[in-house]
Amino acid sequence: MAITPLSSPFFNDKEQDNGKDAEYAVFLKGITKIFPNGTVANHDVTLGILKGEVHAILGENGAGKTTLMRIISGILKPDSGEILIDGKPVRIRDPMEASRLGIGMVHQHFTLIPEFTVRENIALVLATSGWLNLKKVDEKITSVSKSMGLEIDPDSKIESLPIGKRQQVEILRLLCQDVKILILDEPTSVLTPIEVDSFFRMIRDLKSSGKTIVLITHKMKEALQISDRITVLRAGRVIKTIPTSEANEALLASLVVEGMIPATVVRRGTPGAPVLRVESLRVSDDRGRPAVDGLSLVVRSGEIVGIAGVAGNGQKELVEAITGLRRVESGTVRLALHDITNKPTRFIIERGISYIPEDRLHRGVILTMGVHENLALKCIGKPPMSRKSVIDRGLVLRNAENLISRFSIKVPDPCTSVENLSGGNIQKLIVARELSNGGEVLIAEQPTAGLDIKASEAVHQELVALRSKGIGILLVSSDLDEIIKLSDRICVIFGGRIVGEFVPENLDIERLSRLMLGAE
Amino acid sequence: MTNQLVISRGTKRSIVRALLSVALTLVATSIIFLINNVNPFLAFIYMFQGAFGDINLLSETLIRMTPILIVSLGLAVSFKCKIWNIGAEGQLYIGAMLGTIVAIGIGGGPLALLAALVVGALGGLLWAAGPALMKVKLGINEVITTFLMNFVGIYLVQWMISYPFRSPDTLFPESAAIPSTSALAVILPRTRLHLGVVLALALVPVVYFLLERTTFGYKVKVVGESPEAARYGGIEVGRMIFVSLIFSGLLAGLAGITEVMGIQHRVRGSLSPGYGYTGIVVALLGQNNPLGVALASLFLAAIMNGSSTLAWTMNIPMGIVDLMQGLLFVFVLASEPLMRFLERRGVLKL
Amino acid sequence: MIEWAVLIGLAAATLRVAAPLLLASLGETIAERGGLLNLGIQGAMLLGAFSAFIGAYFTGSLWIGLVSAIVGGVLATLLFGVLVVSLDLDHVVSGLAINLLASGLTLYFTRVLFTGGVSPYLGELFGPLPIPILSQIPVLGEVLFSQTGFVYLGLISVPLVYMLLTKTTFGIRLRAIGEDPVTASYLGINVVKMRYAALFAEGMLAGLAGGLLTISMFNTFDTRIVAARGFVAVSIVILGRWNPWGVLAGSLLFGFTEALSLRIGIIFPELSGASTIQLFALLPYLVALVALVAGGRRVRGPASLGKRIGKQ
Repeated sequence: MAITPLSSPFFNDKEQDNGKDAEYAVFLKGITKIFPNGTVANHDVTLGILKGEVHAILGENGAGKTTLMRIISGILKPDSGEILIDGKPVRIRDPMEASRLGIGMVHQHFTLIPEFTVRENIALVLATSGWLNLKKVDEKITSVSKSMGLEIDPDSKIESLPIGKRQQVEILRLLCQDVKILILDEPTSVLTPIEVDSFFRMIRDLKSSGKTIVLITHKMKEALQISDRITVLRAGRVIKTIPTSEANEALLASLVVEGMIPATVVRRGTPGAPVLRVESLRVSDDRGRPAVDGLSLVVRSGEIVGIAGVAGNGQKELVEAITGLRRVESGTVRLALHDITNKPTRFIIERGISYIPEDRLHRGVILTMGVHENLALKCIGKPPMSRKSVIDRGLVLRNAENLISRFSIKVPDPCTSVENLSGGNIQKLIVARELSNGGEVLIAEQPTAGLDIKASEAVHQELVALRSKGIGILLVSSDLDEIIKLSDRICVIFGGRIVGEFVPENLDIERLSRLMLGAE
Repeated sequence: MTNQLVISRGTKRSIVRALLSVALTLVATSIIFLINNVNPFLAFIYMFQGAFGDINLLSETLIRMTPILIVSLGLAVSFKCKIWNIGAEGQLYIGAMLGTIVAIGIGGGPLALLAALVVGALGGLLWAAGPALMKVKLGINEVITTFLMNFVGIYLVQWMISYPFRSPDTLFPESAAIPSTSALAVILPRTRLHLGVVLALALVPVVYFLLERTTFGYKVKVVGESPEAARYGGIEVGRMIFVSLIFSGLLAGLAGITEVMGIQHRVRGSLSPGYGYTGIVVALLGQNNPLGVALASLFLAAIMNGSSTLAWTMNIPMGIVDLMQGLLFVFVLASEPLMRFLERRGVLKL
Repeated sequence: MIEWAVLIGLAAATLRVAAPLLLASLGETIAERGGLLNLGIQGAMLLGAFSAFIGAYFTGSLWIGLVSAIVGGVLATLLFGVLVVSLDLDHVVSGLAINLLASGLTLYFTRVLFTGGVSPYLGELFGPLPIPILSQIPVLGEVLFSQTGFVYLGLISVPLVYMLLTKTTFGIRLRAIGEDPVTASYLGINVVKMRYAALFAEGMLAGLAGGLLTISMFNTFDTRIVAARGFVAVSIVILGRWNPWGVLAGSLLFGFTEALSLRIGIIFPELSGASTIQLFALLPYLVALVALVAGGRRVRGPASLGKRIGKQ
């Protein structure tokens, strides 16, 4: 059968082939996956990946892209359906089996052991016999990295490598395992625009060396730029597979989102007096290395200041220092009236800093406790919620009912454990609690990570509404689009310092990327 | 904080879990009885009679329950904070020793009793304070330190009753007796049932209030469930850990001195047959709920006393108590996943 | 002035009493490197001691005692595995459960099997096994080469466990699990199987450690025979930084304090008879606590140590 995508019948809504054709590296037939909580992640998905192509799987968060790929890489088992590799039906029981079949996946959360060296990480997957043969591992690393033009020191510990480098190690490891099909899950989400360029070069190199590449992404531009064909997933179903040459942004957008949600036009704020002032701040990370290194920053009332930067450049430590969760080595953090440097967290909360944390499940909520108890976390220690340490339980419950209806949090009853809530509702709960706290400053850390488009939009609107009430917001996000959309000022963080500042009106993306990489 | 009148799903689960673990323990014990050629039904009946058969036996069971209940109420608080104090045994001995020294030093009278109780409780607190400090300041696992402190404490008390505080008029190493006027009064004539049981029972609502109605209880719970969220919410995690651990020490010390002032009237090497360890099982079985803990401590006390009847009626050795405790511990743990399994299969509906 | 012979005796005793600690803490090292915080090692040692005694007493063969020590230890750690690996329950509480169960079982069956609940003495025991020629070396021969088989076994196990952890596929996989079990299973490592294997190894070593107490050291069984050795072993692993060589050093330190407390009257004859000498019984526990304060502050162990998989 003819393989030039232009003349093949793949443009139909569903691929009609039976997949026996050996030109397919992977063929999925009627894959359905339902999670124990009832979520239908994939519904009757039929999809073919041609040998040697770059195939983009495009869709919103929650469209079922990652689930589908996890099924191919043997982490999840489908409830029904069939997988064909090179035309032969296979059962992929575990990732080992997948790698024997030549399939490897780079996850969004890297699967490297941070405490291990590059060599140990690769030896871990190559080892077969009882004794480790590190010499052979070294030879393999050298030969593969030479052929791909990668420069990686096998002795370096993963935790000491920057994110972009870790991604290379992930790919290097798959290549050392001689995989033929690489599945990359949102690979550019951790990279700066400049790193993305070199990443794309690597993808092209891989393609020309005969590898098949599946790219999971929610970014249309990316799919258009690098892929040969694009499959759009929505709500667990395949909407369409089309050759990239026939696609454009408008077409893809209409396929990805049912009933387009108009992007809100965000008006700029009207900044007032400074409410949060950080001066020459120095903070160490968990290992005692300097993470924030003489950083200064001002947030005014009624403005959103976006912190743009590659993860691991001191954002986490900065936020923790401001909120009292991490010791400040030197420098000051001031609220409008108070010096809050190295003050206890409770003091800082009471002086008016609200904080939406990145790690919602562990920091933002207590999963095993009730919604009502979670909503009371920051106000239970003071009247009227408690008097002389005795809790007013009626008030705790009324407060919860209040916030639940105000922020339309979906819960069966206010006493349900938070662990029964969906990710979006947990974020709503946190936002509700933080906004009801009545502070002058809000720190929002990755506020929409992992949320679907509707929930993200709702969070954005809350932030904008708060700004117009005169709250100063510090927005820390690795999603550049979010930063650009919401911020009145964008500060670029690199190596624990602010290395550049932009107003969105005259934003130079090229320069922003260089600053994020510390190239200036 | 759910509505009082309705039994919440969580409470229902806790009750089922406790009953399930007791049932499994009885089944496992029956198997052991059968191996030993003993009729398990008969054995359990004797056990029940031995614990509750007449007013005397009942009051002995309540006497037995007293120190167990006091210890496990304290442990419930520290366990709620996910702080595993397994040093209650040592804290109990130290509390008993220091309290006894004070009682003897002051002489008779209610003031001596009060002073002894206070000092005894503080002694237990003191003994828990070391591991608490090591946990909070240095991050050293409290399980190891509290356990090691048991050995230090018990050897120390052993030495004190062998040398400096040894009673001159007994053959065995034991302390002098407390003046009878400072002992806890007997509340039921012709039995040994003393005021200590009232003290223990009075502590149940106190600890319940503390855990369920105060910000202290709330904070303890948050720290136990998620220290990270607690820090984020402005709760001083270290302080809560410290306080909950020394609180459990306080009650362990109180249990020790209550046992002296109510029953034994002097410190002996055999003061506690492992109440500190029994308390762990009780707190777990009662799922850190003071009411549950009260019922669980009565249950364990009944097994202890009932088994002595068993020893002379059916020739089952006293070690059966320890065995049942161990089984109970394992089954309380395993019942949670077992219940989840049964719920998935639709056998159990809650 | 302390006599030379007394010092040699102290050194030899140090090794002798360090042996159970060494074997147990090497076992615990293997488990903890795989992320399992097994406080139930105390119970595993107790069960090992008990089954060694039962095996040796009823068959009259010390070797059968040795085998049953291993069986007892392995049963205890595998039960811990059921709770922690299969059911994913809290490590600390499960360990305590094993300890209480082991002490219940041994107490009950000691009383069932022996009148008065007192175990009799064994006719023979595994005594010292002087190594020909080497044991003739002055000082060293007496200290190092005239020990029991258990001491040699412990010493040989140090490099063996070290090699197991660093030079073998099993070791690197186990360590990966110890750092991050979720990632390890993504990579196709069978976390459950590996952890059971680690617990099996720990059970053998802990069983031997307990068994040597009855069939090589005390000659009889008592439910208090293990004392706090299991918990001391866990402390040693922390102090030894999860490294077999560090664990060797830690075991020797504790062996030394225990030997010292036992021989204090011999070393300082002027003290013997004084009441204070009894206080030396608590020296090993105090030293353990002090050592933890000095060397155990916020040390970084395997990242997943003691954490439940479902909670990660």
